[in-house]
Amino acid sequence: MKAPVLHTRREVLRSLVGGSLLMPGILSSLLAESAASSDPLAPKPTHFPAKAKRVIFIFSNGGVSQMDTFDPKPALFAADGKMTGVGGGLSNQQRVLLKPGWEFRPGGKCGTPVSDLFPHLRECMDDVCLIRSMKGDDNEHYNATLGMHTGSFFFSRPSIGSWVSYGLGTENRNLPSFVALAPQMPYAGLQIFNNDFLPAYHQGVRVVGGKEPIANLERRTTQRGLQELELGLADVLNNRHLAARAGDTDLAARIRTFETAFHLQTEAREVFDLDKESDETLALYGLKRGQSEGFGWQCLVARRLAERGVRFVELVDGSSAKNWDQHGDMAEHAIHAKNIDQPIAGLLRDLKRRGMLADTLVVWTTEFGRTPGVDGTKGRGHHSACFSSWLAGAGVKPGIIHGATDEIASTVVEKKVHVHDFHATILHLLGLDHERLTFRHGGRDYRLTDVFGNVVHDILT
Amino acid sequence: MSTSRTLGIAFFALALAGALPAPAAEPARFVRALNLNGPALTIDGRAWEAGATAPDFKATGKAFANQKVALKPATDVARAEMIRSSVWGAKVELAVTGLAPGPHQVVLYVWEDNHSEQFDLLVNGKIVMEKFHSGAAGSWRRLGPWRAEPVDGKITVAARGASHGACNLSGLEIWAGDGPVPAPTAGEFVREPSAEQIAFFEAKVRPLLADHCYECHSAGAAKIKGGLVLDTAAGVREGGYTGPAIAPGDPEASLLVQAVRHASEDLAMPPKKKLPAHAIADLEAWVRLGAPDPRTGQASATAKKKNEIDWAKAREWWSFRPIAKPAPPAVRDARWPANEIDRFVLARIEAAGLAPAAAADPRTLLRRVTFDLTGLPPTPEETAAFLADTSPDAFARVVDRLLASPRYGERWGRHWLDVVRYADTAGDNSDYPIPQLHRYRDWVIEAFNRDLPYDEFVRDQLAGDLRGGATLAEQHERIVATGYLANARRFGSRVDDYPQHLTIEDTIDNLGRSFLGLTVSCARCHDHKFDPIEARDYYALYGIFNGTRYPWPGIELDKRQRDFVPLVPPGEVAQAMVAIKTRGDELTRLNKQVADLRAKLKEIAGEAAAATETQEGAKPEAKKEDKATIQARLKDAEKAERELGNTPLPFATAYAVAEGAQPADVPVQLRGDPAKPGEIVPRRFPTVLGGAALPAGAATSGRAQLAEWILAPENPLAARVMANRIWQHHFGRGLVPTPNDFGKQGKPPTHPELLDWLATRFRDGGWSVKALHRLIVHSRTYRLASGRNADAVTRDPGNELLAAFPRRRLEAEAIRDAMLALGGNLDLTPAGAHPFPPAHEWKYTQHNPFKAVYESDRRSVYLMTQRIQRHPYLAIFDGADPSTSTPVRPASTTPLQALFLLNDTFVHAQAGRLAEKLIAQAPGDAARIARAHELLFARPPAPDERAAAEKFLASARAQLGADGEAEAWRAYARVLFRLNEFVTID
Repeated sequence: MKAPVLHTRREVLRSLVGGSLLMPGILSSLLAESAASSDPLAPKPTHFPAKAKRVIFIFSNGGVSQMDTFDPKPALFAADGKMTGVGGGLSNQQRVLLKPGWEFRPGGKCGTPVSDLFPHLRECMDDVCLIRSMKGDDNEHYNATLGMHTGSFFFSRPSIGSWVSYGLGTENRNLPSFVALAPQMPYAGLQIFNNDFLPAYHQGVRVVGGKEPIANLERRTTQRGLQELELGLADVLNNRHLAARAGDTDLAARIRTFETAFHLQTEAREVFDLDKESDETLALYGLKRGQSEGFGWQCLVARRLAERGVRFVELVDGSSAKNWDQHGDMAEHAIHAKNIDQPIAGLLRDLKRRGMLADTLVVWTTEFGRTPGVDGTKGRGHHSACFSSWLAGAGVKPGIIHGATDEIASTVVEKKVHVHDFHATILHLLGLDHERLTFRHGGRDYRLTDVFGNVVHDILT
Repeated sequence: MSTSRTLGIAFFALALAGALPAPAAEPARFVRALNLNGPALTIDGRAWEAGATAPDFKATGKAFANQKVALKPATDVARAEMIRSSVWGAKVELAVTGLAPGPHQVVLYVWEDNHSEQFDLLVNGKIVMEKFHSGAAGSWRRLGPWRAEPVDGKITVAARGASHGACNLSGLEIWAGDGPVPAPTAGEFVREPSAEQIAFFEAKVRPLLADHCYECHSAGAAKIKGGLVLDTAAGVREGGYTGPAIAPGDPEASLLVQAVRHASEDLAMPPKKKLPAHAIADLEAWVRLGAPDPRTGQASATAKKKNEIDWAKAREWWSFRPIAKPAPPAVRDARWPANEIDRFVLARIEAAGLAPAAAADPRTLLRRVTFDLTGLPPTPEETAAFLADTSPDAFARVVDRLLASPRYGERWGRHWLDVVRYADTAGDNSDYPIPQLHRYRDWVIEAFNRDLPYDEFVRDQLAGDLRGGATLAEQHERIVATGYLANARRFGSRVDDYPQHLTIEDTIDNLGRSFLGLTVSCARCHDHKFDPIEARDYYALYGIFNGTRYPWPGIELDKRQRDFVPLVPPGEVAQAMVAIKTRGDELTRLNKQVADLRAKLKEIAGEAAAATETQEGAKPEAKKEDKATIQARLKDAEKAERELGNTPLPFATAYAVAEGAQPADVPVQLRGDPAKPGEIVPRRFPTVLGGAALPAGAATSGRAQLAEWILAPENPLAARVMANRIWQHHFGRGLVPTPNDFGKQGKPPTHPELLDWLATRFRDGGWSVKALHRLIVHSRTYRLASGRNADAVTRDPGNELLAAFPRRRLEAEAIRDAMLALGGNLDLTPAGAHPFPPAHEWKYTQHNPFKAVYESDRRSVYLMTQRIQRHPYLAIFDGADPSTSTPVRPASTTPLQALFLLNDTFVHAQAGRLAEKLIAQAPGDAARIARAHELLFARPPAPDERAAAEKFLASARAQLGADGEAEAWRAYARVLFRLNEFVTID
């Protein structure tokens, strides 16, 4: 899949030159192709041939119930108000089993059953590899969310997106390598897209949607051409300064960041502007024309970022305050499911018809599942012992189900996929060996998977 | 772990220390054992009584059994049956009566059937284990033996659960005498194998173990894994970290069999390839026979020896060697050196066949040293004064002026705050604010400003509370200094089972890096892989901090600050502590009252709505009154809450540590798991650094001694590490480029003799930091120009030899502070506390964690720093990581930084202020351009720079039209803030 060329850099620049407001200095500088070798985000070779070139990582915050979505359990539907199982807020009590609230029906030709919470997504199951045997280490939102993003359930560590950026670089120097479409903050806040000890250019750039989707993207100088003039003078003075310090690559690199930033103001804006998308495409995502927020917007922008070579796009669904955490009444799952069902299905279909699903890995996950036993009167508690997630696209067997839980979805009984295994598998699909993707910090080689993780070969094509 | 193994290791430790072991006491005598909720049975060859019917015995608690749970570790059938049936409850008491007088010992079996619980255990009313964690489902422990003397023939054993904790007690053994209590024999091993059994072992089992297991589990292994050796019968029986390998006669209960079956992914051996089915069947058959095994030899001693560190060899590593007192080397160009430092540096430059750069011009030097020592640019007036001063000590006067400026401490204090990962919040899931911690920040800044000797700086931070002081103010300052320890990270949301071991780990991790340049905490789970630090060394330090009382900053489920230290005269501390507690309890009561009343109102509203819906007619008047009364009560309660909350305590408190209730030595935690205690280690300094220990039975935490061990002349690391940090911040890179790691994973010094010379001067010169600054900035090396010729770049690409001054980018704080200074609005009044909301309003949870950014015009060191949420500006410009030590600031170059400088409102506002200043301070374009260059770069503009600026102004004016004059200057100021020269120390 090749990114469509929107404008050449030169075209953009020449259009800006307009009435020759740009000084000769900036024009020549901006038009000069800098050596890619000095670019810390230049594409890097993989450890072995990759199936996926990029990742769209969808994170549903709060703990999505497995038995109400992707893991049907007749024993739970048969719950008679007497049978008990693990329940309570933190999976710490024996409680009466709670009946799932939604019917399951087979989806696609493969027949993978999905509940009525996801009618649109259900139609895409032929492209989806469902994992029913996910397992984490912690029953607290914060720690489980941190673990799902960094492989560490307590300490701050680099996010998976930062690791991927570090391992692979980016294919579009005018855009960041790692973008987090996070209108709201999930649990554990910034840490989930933080570079931590990896160099700062691997930090996820947060996009919030709306008028200024990235901080400081909006030109503060409103007078036409003034910023170009300013950049022109800065360029002259910086180059003069550099000439007396020949060979200082740090200074040269810093001059270049102003060029990238200058482009970001237009190019990033162009990415977030959905005007040129057809009505049909907008409808696919459930979007209204002119809409610049909502999960459909996040999904369509994710596709546009992926098209333009951004390596890792994270979509945060929900916030730490409002999310899938239904302790009191599972019925609220319907609100959250409705919010993401059509957009995600739209994203999968759109990627597929554009041929992008062949080399884009789409991941959907949550921080943990929920208890079979009741919490409150009609809710379910946190449950990290088992939950469901899925992968779709590049290198993943489509239309299959991997792993199984016991009769009430309280524990994994077959083919456990720990969070570390999940991470190892995602890296593997990107051509990265999770044991070789290391960074020396504080006297130790760190990995996303700490000292754990096994690639789940069963689900690879 | 079995008792014999514990004794074996303890013996070994004694032998190491050179002491003779005490003669073995008579073994304890078995009195009786009780299966607390189950039938009589035989365990370890001894008769156990049924708890329900046994005479002279009473147990409270509810009966519980679940024989389906898989035990970890597996054990023999009878024991497993006993363990999986238990008495449980939040409070359980066992009482054995009719015992003879004299010393007895008690052993208790506990287990966990589902989720970890936490409880205290007491024998005869005295706590023997505090906050015991029962572990994951299936965990069981044989706890004790604990000494106990019968009182009127009676011994009681009690368990008390913490708030929600409930315990499962399974079995109780009573032994008489002081001697060792034998380990459980785990079923019946064949003691004297028959010829037939030996033949089976030799033909089937030994080859299998040798081929598939010995590589990692024998005396011949390069590194013994999991503490398990399988090349002796004793090794098999004793087992490894996870318990005995075999339960004789019971393959299902044998870890070895489970492992070779690959029954669980956590325990699958051999890890890469499963054994063929017939081999597994042979092992099962062998276990069923009772594991007959003719092999002899020790288990643990062999295993231990194998992983032992060669201390003499370990101490040969450069950083552990004593600090040398090297004489400065001879150099060819004897006129070049200004002081001894230069001789060390020049010797290497000459040896490499290079020549040092020329001296920096005075303007560059002044800008460099001013940013370096104060983090701010020199004013044009300061530049002019320096240029006009032709006396030989002109530079020395500048240095004295800068070191005497309060701005110095704000700059260099920040360097230390980086290392100690200073933050104004706790780092738990809700990131609670700590309004008192700014006192520690201010103490650090002030310590640098008054040149507090580094040894005192160390003592105050580790044990200031134990040092007293000449005045009350000094005592309080020292208490505040222990904010260093208090500021260790908090984790999670839990209260009763708060993971204190992680907070202690964070303490030890930071202490090791900050004061010793060692990654000690790598030894939490296992002996350090690269450096000679054992797990025992880690837990020897752990005991010190386990015996230290940390303040409780508040957390989602327990919001109230606890154990903060009142800053009152010593005689009034107890009274003040009572006042803090009373106020806290009262606030808690009011919080609850308000919440309850609000809930009640909501309930009434709900009822009213329901009544309306069902159209049951008018509400009874009584209900209405009810509502009014409750509303009134709520109003009163809210008022009381607000008033108490807004009435501060009549004294200040510090976020500081104190001695713990019962400081004591602690056990090693196997694999870093607090639920798996191993041998108890005495509190002491790491062995490789001399291993100085507390006197046996010391009743204090040992923090005061720890400070002295760090500072002792025998420890070469304290002086080397701090001297290196000071050098690092003058040159942008330490002589050791990894300032927090002087171990094998770090980088060795580029100039080892110079480092030792500096360390010696530092230590012998009274640990004065300012004296070291003077020494360094007066060297010729420091005063070199930064320009390098092509030859130097080729032969010394990293400028390791310092033949020129290493140019570097300013840190985040200096860039922001300089913009504030240049805008004329830098606020230099004392910063004090952050404007946190009052504590009684805190309702932070992990769903809605504390999150704030407080804008101010003060220096950036005073910005409120959160552990979890990074300040947006500092995050963009590589500010320190507030959750872990930052020894070196990276200087990344990202488009987000450029976007910030292009568009951020702060930059635009500061540029606007600078433009106003230029217009006001100088007449005409040329003068203003000149003034701008003096302000930002401490130099006049070159003609082409002036020409470019004038051309720019002309274009901007043309573009902006008649009213564009001010905006043209603002645009010019913005350009200057974006220049490389502005953010570079040259």
